[in-house]
Amino acid sequence: MSLYYTIKPILIVLGLLAGFGFFFIRSRRLIQLMTRVSGSHPIRLDRLPERLKILFTEVLLQSRVREKRFPGLAHTFIFLGFIVILPHTIELMIAGILPGFSFARLFPALYGYYAVLADILAVLVLVGLAYCVFRRLIFKPKYLTDGLDSRLILLFTTLIIVSFFSVNAFRLAFYPEALQGLQSGYLISFPIATLLGLEHLPRQGLFIGLEASYWIHLAVILYFLVYIPGSKHLHILAAIPNVFLAPLDTPKPMLRSDLENEDIETFGLGSVDELNWQNVLNLYACTECGRCEEQCPADLTGKPLSPKAVVVDVKDDLIGQFANNKNTIEPIVRPGSPITEDVIWSCTTCRACESVCPLHIQHLDFILEMRKSLVLMESRFPEELQETFNNLENQFNPWGFAAEKRADWCRGLDVALMSDRPNAEILYFVGCAGAFDERGKVVARSIVNLLKKAEVDFAILGPEERCTGDAARRAGNEYVAQELMQANLETLGKYKPARILTGCPHCYNTLKHEYPQFGAMPEVLHHTEFFAILIQNGILKPHVNLETTVTLHDSCYLCRWNDMIDAPRKILGAIGALKIREMERSGRQGLCCGAGGSRMFMEEKIGKRINIERVEEVAATRAETLVAACPFCNTMLNDGVKETASAIAVKDIAEILDQATG
Amino acid sequence: MEKVGILIELKDGKIKKTNFGVITLARRQGCELFALILNGDAAACKEQLRQYGIGKIVDVTTAEGPLQWNPDNWARAIIAAMDHFGLTTLCGLASARGKDVLPRVAAYLDAPLVMDCVDLNLNERTARKSQFSGKTIATIKVSGNHFIFGIRPNAIEAKLEPCQAEVVSFQTDVESKGLVVREIKQQAHSGIDLTEADIIISGGRGMENPENFEILFECARVMGAAVGASRAAVDSGWAPHTMQVGQTGATVSPKVYIACGISGSVQHFAGMKTSGMIIAVNTDSEASITKNCDYYIVENLFEIVPILTRQLKMVVDPI
Repeated sequence: MSLYYTIKPILIVLGLLAGFGFFFIRSRRLIQLMTRVSGSHPIRLDRLPERLKILFTEVLLQSRVREKRFPGLAHTFIFLGFIVILPHTIELMIAGILPGFSFARLFPALYGYYAVLADILAVLVLVGLAYCVFRRLIFKPKYLTDGLDSRLILLFTTLIIVSFFSVNAFRLAFYPEALQGLQSGYLISFPIATLLGLEHLPRQGLFIGLEASYWIHLAVILYFLVYIPGSKHLHILAAIPNVFLAPLDTPKPMLRSDLENEDIETFGLGSVDELNWQNVLNLYACTECGRCEEQCPADLTGKPLSPKAVVVDVKDDLIGQFANNKNTIEPIVRPGSPITEDVIWSCTTCRACESVCPLHIQHLDFILEMRKSLVLMESRFPEELQETFNNLENQFNPWGFAAEKRADWCRGLDVALMSDRPNAEILYFVGCAGAFDERGKVVARSIVNLLKKAEVDFAILGPEERCTGDAARRAGNEYVAQELMQANLETLGKYKPARILTGCPHCYNTLKHEYPQFGAMPEVLHHTEFFAILIQNGILKPHVNLETTVTLHDSCYLCRWNDMIDAPRKILGAIGALKIREMERSGRQGLCCGAGGSRMFMEEKIGKRINIERVEEVAATRAETLVAACPFCNTMLNDGVKETASAIAVKDIAEILDQATG
Repeated sequence: MEKVGILIELKDGKIKKTNFGVITLARRQGCELFALILNGDAAACKEQLRQYGIGKIVDVTTAEGPLQWNPDNWARAIIAAMDHFGLTTLCGLASARGKDVLPRVAAYLDAPLVMDCVDLNLNERTARKSQFSGKTIATIKVSGNHFIFGIRPNAIEAKLEPCQAEVVSFQTDVESKGLVVREIKQQAHSGIDLTEADIIISGGRGMENPENFEILFECARVMGAAVGASRAAVDSGWAPHTMQVGQTGATVSPKVYIACGISGSVQHFAGMKTSGMIIAVNTDSEASITKNCDYYIVENLFEIVPILTRQLKMVVDPI
């Protein structure tokens, strides 16, 4: 026995050294990878109070995780439970080396409360784990990857908690005097000990039970510690820095590639060594919860893309490519790679994945940069995009209509050109759809009607206007995009309008958030928010009742890229007799129409068409009118309506308001 | 006198008509013309080629017979023939095959190559080709020991100029190490190539089902037109993607475009807006296409198209 007491501390010290040592080595390798990648990204530590607050609410209080209620609640239990039993674990480790050590001696007053809390939370952890097991084995949602990794994690965590109770129960029975007065604190452990009749066991038996529980507890924890860096459970380390350093604002521009710098040899993301540290941290933070995949319109309609799979596959590639100090880094898209061109081109950039990710992973940073690499470095893109690229380059619109005819749509409408009225208060940036698409022209005329009703002093650029570059940029053609952006900026610089009004969420997002990468920009407004303000200020008065039921389709580039959810609802709410019936997926959870990310100009050959999926949801509301605020949504949904032979009118919100203002 | 090789393209054993334009163009400066036939019966082609002024028809074969399609083997065989007959210049079609084989010949010979030529002057060694989607025409002068030109199909009108011709056999052994043709997949499509057609008749969602496309094909046969389809019809599986006209399909510019049951969304219009004349048949008088066409008929296409077919038949074949 005394021999055991002599070697136990030695074994524990060795065990701790081995466990923490391996953990340290494996973690250090991961941190090294963050510094070995060549991409650059600033470390943002601005707005510290906000960052700390997010850390507090989203990590400690788990608010974002609980946006999905039951799994979120289960995760909260498990997370808080493990935080709380941590001191207990440390106590056990020290006690293994210094027999008799206990925090109960150091903080006798507090320890009673702590024991209560730890006992309760440990039970909640088991409740959470039971839910997780149930979910994985019985519910089996498609977006959860059920593999050895996830099962081992469940096994380890369960073993840790079970042995936690077992250690406590045996301790209570073995050292009744030492824990005198604390029994009542062990709300659960003590009844377990009583229930098992441990006090009737011989000392020998209690000793063996206690030591066995102790060793199992410690061994599982140490093994788990070593296991974590190679597993998806790595998120417990990466989540905190990832959330803390994540972008604070929803709107974000695409990464600007410096095309002028002749020393740069590659553009975009072609191989994992071109990632930046934040990308890598994103990869480490992913716990494969699958919420992104569940929301992804591409995955939903049978395309090969899953945002989760992209993150997992890039992570695997990163670790694989840097393993064994290989000399060459292979491209991400290569024969046999799970990330195929179809995966990359399936994305509509709707950003549902990012907006739902509990850990603020920026999936699009990977996908859009991979597109850029394919297009700029290898000229690989769906062949049908060629025409769009040519047209954008030659005629500054995706369809190839003559650039000089850009103002033809407003003939006879008495709309001034900026060249004639350079001091107009508002520059109405019509966009390619408003200028050339017959359907878009009707919407543009409604916008003009409303501006006139509100007596707004406005003018358009006409032939001087060019595509903002969104379609090219999101299709990876940064070169054509920047050409368009530079040309528009030059024109805008000539007139210096006080404000820009757009009729298209894509123009809006690009002008507002991406042009400032290249030059100073005035305030940019989308017509939805602008008209909402005009109504609020009493300048536009919707006095005509519209006896109709509508449902609202949120444009991704308004609701998710720009948090613009209330404005269209305010406009519709101001119209008399009009009833709004929301779809199940609306607002920030709204489903994409299928056109974003330049998908408008590509064929949708794989799976179900996204616009059909959306229109079926629209039809389920039995609304008479579908209101959109984007020319691309309008086109896609209108096609879907025709395809499904539904009797729904697809209107832009400007058309509805034009009607309601008489 | 300079010796010029013409790479003849056969389809189903017959000479593609577009070859005669190439011959007509190459003939202009009075060069001695050698027709190179790699995958067919040269003797059978003799009479036709003679009519267009080809004096020598070279039957290029390997020990195993005619060459199977393999662009690398073809390039090597062509070079061997050029070398043997002392040909300095090679003209071919800037067709799918031409685009695959001519650049290889040029690369092996380290010779200048001009593709998609619309005119040639072999004495001055100049070629004209359109650039920037037809906005400019470039005249390109080449120099070197050999010259390779790919001629745009249908750019030159073929003219007859009969002469005496003889068939010469030339056997060579070529085997590409780097390139093996495993399989050739031909997209099934019937009738005339959309991008080369003078007249196109297209169907959209208004066609209702794939069978109804037959009325368009029937009409097309009478007037020698190609049949197109809108994205809606293709997506519904009524027509193959090869028939799709529009932003994500073929961009066409026929003299006449007849759109049947097509609403004419911007995506479709973008692919055919350069048509000489656009005629629309649609039951919806508000459809976008009505704002972008020269003539439109607000009527059921199933009434109009058969009438059109009937009337055309009367013109073509009055009895």
